[in-house]
Amino acid sequence: MEILKKVEQALYQVIDPELNVNIMDLGLVYNLKVKENNDVYIKMTLTTPGCPLHDTIVGGAEKVVEAIDGVNDVQIDLVWLPQWSPDKMSKKAKEMLMS
Amino acid sequence: MKPHFSQTKINVKLPFSFILFGLIAFIFSQWIFFQNASQLAEGYFRTPELWMAFHLLILGWAVMIAMGAMYQMVPVTFLTPIWSEKFGFIQFGVTATGILSLSFLLGFHPAEAVYGGAITIIGICMFILQMFMTIKKQKEKNMMTWLVFSALLFFLLTLLAGFVLAWNIANGQILNHQSIFHSHLVFGITGWFTLLIFGFSYKLVPMFSLSHGFSMKWSMKAFLLYILGLLALIFTFWIKMSILQPIGWAVLFLAFTLFLLDMREILAKRSKKRLDRPFLFAIIALHLGWFIHFLVVVVSIWATSNVALWSLLIYLYLMMWIIFSILGYLYKIVPVLWWTLKYADKVGKEKIPLIKDLINEKASFILYIGFFIGTLGVAFSTLYQSLLLIQLFQGLLVLTSFVYSVFIAKVMTK
Repeated sequence: MEILKKVEQALYQVIDPELNVNIMDLGLVYNLKVKENNDVYIKMTLTTPGCPLHDTIVGGAEKVVEAIDGVNDVQIDLVWLPQWSPDKMSKKAKEMLMS
Repeated sequence: MKPHFSQTKINVKLPFSFILFGLIAFIFSQWIFFQNASQLAEGYFRTPELWMAFHLLILGWAVMIAMGAMYQMVPVTFLTPIWSEKFGFIQFGVTATGILSLSFLLGFHPAEAVYGGAITIIGICMFILQMFMTIKKQKEKNMMTWLVFSALLFFLLTLLAGFVLAWNIANGQILNHQSIFHSHLVFGITGWFTLLIFGFSYKLVPMFSLSHGFSMKWSMKAFLLYILGLLALIFTFWIKMSILQPIGWAVLFLAFTLFLLDMREILAKRSKKRLDRPFLFAIIALHLGWFIHFLVVVVSIWATSNVALWSLLIYLYLMMWIIFSILGYLYKIVPVLWWTLKYADKVGKEKIPLIKDLINEKASFILYIGFFIGTLGVAFSTLYQSLLLIQLFQGLLVLTSFVYSVFIAKVMTK
């Protein structure tokens, strides 16, 4: 399996422990790139700036990707623009939160 | 590239030190109230034993919990690292010593309470310095910054007035004791606590409800009006024109109403349909706070000189607005803190529990009902001076406080 797919799958394992929804379904990951030397670049955000769990969530994303065989280095770019909004969530995440 | 905010990580032992101290002080304060129920029944609120209980409740519980929560919340919500963690631990030691000695001396040697008060003041001044130095470094100031900054200023004023009061008790040389006492109360419970809860609610309410797209359109007006109301009220205490007091209280009520409008808009725009019970309790406390502000306006117009009624209102204000808000938010904050300490490094490595798995949320519902009934029961049985009922309801509060503290402490075993 190509590394990009593996990275995507791994990020589904990173759960926001307060919401119990993974960061992919929450729509927190804006961009994923794998460079030629297998460095991984992740552009992501959080549901709100100043979330007490921000280190945990970003650190978790970094760890799961680093653990993938073949990944060289992980670069995480945390951005606040465009601002996260509920419409970035998957249907599954919306259903979980609205139930 | 590591994310820039990793500097905002705090050693969670620091907030936990304050929180654990607060929980123990909470149980003891309620126990002392229970032991001295007869004084409550007779309407003698300014006795050494009750001073001790009030200071353990307000300083030992509410202030220490607020400080612990701020050590956790300020770095992450202001995206600014704490000025000095080491200074924070020293500040904890000094403040804890000060509060214990002040409460003890008020209870057993009131004439020497000024010494305990002096240590407490040093500890709290250290905290205020810590927070001012931290906030100073914040790059982009926002509404929360101004609310928290103003809360800290009022905290400082509370200290000064409290120190003058303690000096007065010891030496009896300063006139205007009543004006200083009323200013001390308003600076502390209305200025410091209310502005602080306003400030953090603008962060916590959207965060716990996953709300987006809200305007906060009333926040600046609510802030300015609340400050104006406080200043007007203090002014009336010193010019001794109680006839003007309703104006000050009415402005405070109006400001609270605007704040509540913002909170309701935030909740209306939430993505999380089912709110956690502890958070819901904090939201109920916001509404109770608004209602108590309304009651104060009414009493200030029609029953200015009814001391028993004012004592009842102060008690309700303290318990149902400030303490209930803390009880609600704390039940959410402690599991987050503990989870961060114990499980943050295990994310992505092994299966770990969710935050909600660390706390007994169902039991919180029963506890909050216990707090509600206990507080209302004590308030009204004090008004009717029924010793038996006071003992019954205060007993309920002792039991509920103890079980609540045990549940919070149990988080740290998971």
